[in-house]
Amino acid sequence: MSPSKRAAEREDMRDNLTKSRTQAHIRPSVDLDEFRTTVGSWCEEHVPRDWRQSQTGAGDAEFVRFQKSWFAELHRAGYAVPHWPSEWGGGLRTRGAARKMSVPEQIVLYQELAAYDAPRLVLAFVGIHHAASTLLVAGSDEQRRRHLPAILDGEIWVQGFSEPEAGSDLASLRTSARRIGDSYVVNGQKLWASGGMHADWCLLLARTDPDAPKRKGISYFLLDMTTPGVEVRPIRNAIGDSHFCEIFLNDVSIPAANLVGAENAGWQVAQATLGAERGLTMLELAERLGNAGFRWLVQASPLDDPIVADRLARFETEIAGLRGLCRKVVEDNEAGTAGPADASIVKLYYSELLQRLTDFGTEIGGLAAQTELAKPMSSGWESGCWVLDFIGSWEWTIPGGSSEVQRTIIAERGLGLPREPSVA
Amino acid sequence: MAHEFEEFHQELRSVASDLLAKDRAVEWPVLAGAGWVGLEVPDEFGGAGATFAEVAVICEEMGRAASANSYLGSAVLAVGTLKALQPSDTRDALLSDVASGTLRLAVALGSYEFVPDADGADRLLVVTTDSEGAPVVDVAALAVTRQPVVDETRRLATVSADGIEAAEVLRFAGDPEEQVCRLHDRAAVAIACDSLGLSEAMLAATVSYAKVRHQFGRPIGSFQAVKHACADMQVAIAVSRQLVSAAVEAVAEGRQDASTAAAMAKSYTCSAAVDVAGKAMQLHGGIGYTWESGIHVYLKRAILNRSLFGSPAAHRKRLAQRYL
Repeated sequence: MSPSKRAAEREDMRDNLTKSRTQAHIRPSVDLDEFRTTVGSWCEEHVPRDWRQSQTGAGDAEFVRFQKSWFAELHRAGYAVPHWPSEWGGGLRTRGAARKMSVPEQIVLYQELAAYDAPRLVLAFVGIHHAASTLLVAGSDEQRRRHLPAILDGEIWVQGFSEPEAGSDLASLRTSARRIGDSYVVNGQKLWASGGMHADWCLLLARTDPDAPKRKGISYFLLDMTTPGVEVRPIRNAIGDSHFCEIFLNDVSIPAANLVGAENAGWQVAQATLGAERGLTMLELAERLGNAGFRWLVQASPLDDPIVADRLARFETEIAGLRGLCRKVVEDNEAGTAGPADASIVKLYYSELLQRLTDFGTEIGGLAAQTELAKPMSSGWESGCWVLDFIGSWEWTIPGGSSEVQRTIIAERGLGLPREPSVA
Repeated sequence: MAHEFEEFHQELRSVASDLLAKDRAVEWPVLAGAGWVGLEVPDEFGGAGATFAEVAVICEEMGRAASANSYLGSAVLAVGTLKALQPSDTRDALLSDVASGTLRLAVALGSYEFVPDADGADRLLVVTTDSEGAPVVDVAALAVTRQPVVDETRRLATVSADGIEAAEVLRFAGDPEEQVCRLHDRAAVAIACDSLGLSEAMLAATVSYAKVRHQFGRPIGSFQAVKHACADMQVAIAVSRQLVSAAVEAVAEGRQDASTAAAMAKSYTCSAAVDVAGKAMQLHGGIGYTWESGIHVYLKRAILNRSLFGSPAAHRKRLAQRYL
């Protein structure tokens, strides 16, 4: 079967999906039902019917155009940044009044977007999650005023954390920032910066005190990507895309006003904001996996095979567990009761579940699945193009703290096991 | 709901854990005296008028302590069965007598084999069908043969209905088929709670041990191989906890999706508990394999739990039928 025929077939599946969406972990209520209907009708009207086909094999320019227009469309409806505070344009707007969107409401929103197979916000992801939570938690008023509205207008962000010699051991990063007058001069190299070539701004970690212990000499900056001395080179990844990048920084000047938090407190800022956004991003991903990925897997599977049926039931069960975990970590974060390793548990479990599920999809898909050479841009790793989804799943188990790093965090911070003796 | 009662559940949990920590075997009068037997029995019959959500807390603590007692058969299943029946003098009297602890029941739910806590019970509730095929409950005297199993903390028995007159036939309230289905869900979730409690006990024991046991001049818990195994136990427990909470809530509220939630909780949690207890034995090393360490008690209970009231595969088969 040709890839475009398969893409067309998935358009049809969408109708089945909307009927069979799963709603575990939300207690039914009249208000939520009403909200669900509102979002559902909106999706019915606004989700482009043919986006999977038009985004399969789309070029870079078309991808960026499509992402920006879909973001603007979602934002007009009030669905782009449901997790933001209402005073910054997030939350729920009804009859002119804005209020915070509850966690169950956010889940309903993500369920409906997934059930109607809406495109994912791939390009805006770092901006609406990482950048926003950093600014909200640690940014100055001026920084918030400058960037939060800009993000809603389509400003794209990239994360400049990892370096060639600072992967899992992020705190050993070497990119330097020297204070000269009212600005910092930055030199170094960043790696694995997703979407770097489209980014307007960068969340940058750089060393401001080379003599301090490694976690105490790092500062957190907002870097304008148009600054002279910034050079971006795409790196081709395992599935053939070039959406993550190297960023070279040669005598790049950053105004001191773009420092987030205190000088040398960058590590703490990064820690505080990473945990806070982790649950929120997962809330959507868990619903995508449950309402799109899993349903497609079921539709592709020979259900009369008892071994296949057993595997599917196992995945459904695990997804139900994942959704419960995601909801809990978001609610506990809001209540300030989250455990120190809760976000790591969610990240580790999601990544490995995604990998196992897409692995199973490739097994079920057999040789026919091998013929899908491109997956739609703007989809996640639950697109139903199983082979590429499976290979892409390493994009979850490796970055953002690899599975091994997460296990160490769970054991040390969560369970209180002794730290590995450090090598002198 | 879960949040409103959180404080009460914490208190119940702490009292239960203190009491159960004293001795592995706990006799019926002690359970009744603690008020756990009548937890779910309505006030007018001398009970506490609580729900399955509170019973679930006790079940979890039973697992944590690997407690040997007749709570499962004589309280969780018996009270659940009686509450599903139409009110009658017999039913009401049975509820009162169970709540006060003067009577100990057991329930044969769909099978005459491996009936929990039938040995030593005063009467047996047999979930069966009438001449038209509709589910009913017979109240019978007992012909019981103890069935020893590898796990010594549970008391199972084969019951025989041959040659025994049913004392009285009691009818279900509402749709009898649905009531029986709910009883199976209740049994499955009660076991899942038990397995969750025992998993947590095994992780806690393993973490404590890994902090104090030294090899190669450092605590074994500082080695990544040990650490990562503990992290995997923690993740499995966190997922189990979510599935169990959802199932407990669904059963307590008699929700439509209770069977699905129960199948998920039972299949995942009871499988995970065997892995967790198995890893606990592994990480305790030679000591873990000794009789004295007691890890085997938990592993055996986890293994029995996995098979009791539906194997993981049987529960997943039920889930998969929904895909057709």
